[in-house]
Amino acid sequence: MPAVEISQITKSFGALKAVDDVSFIIEKGELFGLLGPNGAGKTTAIRCMLDIFKPDSGSIALLGGPMSESKKDLIGYMPEERGLYQDLPLDRCLTYLGSLKGLSPAEVRRRSAGYLERFDLVAYKTRKVKELSKGMQQKAQIIATILHHPELLIVDEPFGGLDPVNTQMVKDLLREQREQGVTVILCSHQMQLVEELCDRIVLIDHGRVMLYGGLADIRRQFSGNVVKVRTEGTLPDLKGVERIEPMNGSIKLHLDPGTAPQDVLRALVTGNITVDQFEISMPTLDEIFIRVVQGKGDRT
Amino acid sequence: MIKVWRVALHEYQRHVLNRRFVLGLLSVPILIIAMLGLIFLVIAMDTNTKPIGYVDHSGLLANPVPPPPVVKPDRPIEMRPFSDEAAARSALDAGQIQAYYVLPKDYRIRGSLNVVHLEALKSSSSLQFYDFLAANLLAGKDPATARRLVTSAKVTVQSADGSRQISGDDWFSILFPMIAGIAFIIAMFTAGGYLMQAVVEEKENRTMEVIITSVSPNQFMAGKILADIAIGLTQILAWAVFIAVMVLISRSSLTFLNGIQISARTVMLMAVLLFPAFVMVAALMATIGATVAEAREGQQMVGLISLPLWIPYMMTGLIIGSPNSPVVIALSLFPLTSPLTMLVRDSMTIIPVWQVVASAGVMILSAIGSVWLAGRAFRLGMLRYGKRLAWRELFARQGASS
Repeated sequence: MPAVEISQITKSFGALKAVDDVSFIIEKGELFGLLGPNGAGKTTAIRCMLDIFKPDSGSIALLGGPMSESKKDLIGYMPEERGLYQDLPLDRCLTYLGSLKGLSPAEVRRRSAGYLERFDLVAYKTRKVKELSKGMQQKAQIIATILHHPELLIVDEPFGGLDPVNTQMVKDLLREQREQGVTVILCSHQMQLVEELCDRIVLIDHGRVMLYGGLADIRRQFSGNVVKVRTEGTLPDLKGVERIEPMNGSIKLHLDPGTAPQDVLRALVTGNITVDQFEISMPTLDEIFIRVVQGKGDRT
Repeated sequence: MIKVWRVALHEYQRHVLNRRFVLGLLSVPILIIAMLGLIFLVIAMDTNTKPIGYVDHSGLLANPVPPPPVVKPDRPIEMRPFSDEAAARSALDAGQIQAYYVLPKDYRIRGSLNVVHLEALKSSSSLQFYDFLAANLLAGKDPATARRLVTSAKVTVQSADGSRQISGDDWFSILFPMIAGIAFIIAMFTAGGYLMQAVVEEKENRTMEVIITSVSPNQFMAGKILADIAIGLTQILAWAVFIAVMVLISRSSLTFLNGIQISARTVMLMAVLLFPAFVMVAALMATIGATVAEAREGQQMVGLISLPLWIPYMMTGLIIGSPNSPVVIALSLFPLTSPLTMLVRDSMTIIPVWQVVASAGVMILSAIGSVWLAGRAFRLGMLRYGKRLAWRELFARQGASS
């Protein structure tokens, strides 16, 4: 049974179609990336998922069925727009938010003590939230999101405002959640982090699904027209190579759409060129993102 | 249901443990103490306790009976006899007396007398001297008859059906429902103001999105309204305790406080009108909070609710003078004006049962309608960051986010 099953949902606001026939499945226990440029419809899709918005059409199943009040206690949601009570001391704020997820105040205090320790916030727990730095507030928001040990965790831009040390801490935490069987949906613009963390992704643009699947499969789909070559001598003219790009002692060959990497390898061997390295270059998620969003999403 | 209580408890603690609330709570007792202090100051300034002299040529005061005891907060003044006007005058010039009266020989027949003073005589001084004269004019009469003649008649007005009566000593009982109504309105708006502010803040600081993935909008709104009522009742209870303590302390000085009687009918009327009014105002304030983009805008809209609530206060003269006129009956049935109108009318007349039932019915229905409206405004407006929700959207058949 998938953790999230979205089938052909559409949601419009007036003339604007924010989500248009979007479908994807998120399996239990996976770390799933929900990507898209600003205004692509990610947040609307999440709000539909969480029943904040009702989709105009289509269906959503969450943790085995439609969203319900009782399921709210099984979900942790950290929206992109952070929301903490600025005038409350941090510990009281966490106690309240945790208690709304069904925990007793004593249990919230017990659990939050560990997280505050881990996130270096113990010394600040009696300070008002507005007195904390942006990064500290970010960490506090993450604690509030996972305090009740959700089965489904939806985090929207969790790394914003964090320094490298805290970014690593949050990365470890998300991995740890996945290892514990929690399904994690990660929305982020930091493609490198998505690449590092996610098993599968969906990329939405203009409300429509542009890419969906395993990260390795997607990268493979977009690979093939670039090969990385290192040789001892200079390269001869090669047929089917559109552009040559030197990089760190090796060369990146951008191939014509009709040229396969094997054709280039054959030409090198035939030309008696000593090849130290020949590698089909996998595009980064960043490159794929840009190509898809800019409408150059041709796959091999 | 537990989440409703958690929201309510959080809201209650958040506002009641706030310095602003405590200051607001203390402002009313401080105002009352200041007013009482002013009353005592005015009385003290109007009282001159120097003796009053008299020169009696009529023989009425040859063997005077003492003046009757004075009623607090007035203080007794000594009545000092002088053998002639020269002696009295020199005592006045020496500042030993505040004034002296001269009773001519034919005083008993003509009733005229002279008074000599250097500074204007306080009314309490002259009244005490006249009481002294009256007591001596009535000397030798039956004491009960003499007392009855000196003190004014106590008239008790009774309703035709005998269900109600009121006398001059009960004037504070007449005022009490109005004072209680005003206190409730102040409490309603203080607590409602907190509620509105909290909703706007939750929109402004984006807490709303986190909250509504934990509780339903209806649970959240119900918790807030419960907290609002609890905050208002806390205020009223604190004020009531303070007033009770003040009454106990000062009842010997302020005799009008002794006759306070609150009928069960008045208490019931307050319960059936003020409780739903509280819910209605709380829900309307929440509606405003959910529809506006920022707190300042909300404050401006609060006037739309507060103004009608104060109309009966501004029209007290009409309500007291013509408590059963069509205008007053209309005010009794309109939900925003009915609480204060009905409470003032209750002091002045016997309100027909159908009007009580209709007023309470309209009020309860308005409270239910307001809660529905608040829930809808909340669902539609909760994620409208920086953008106002148009009122017509509230009544449209389908909202943008539902």
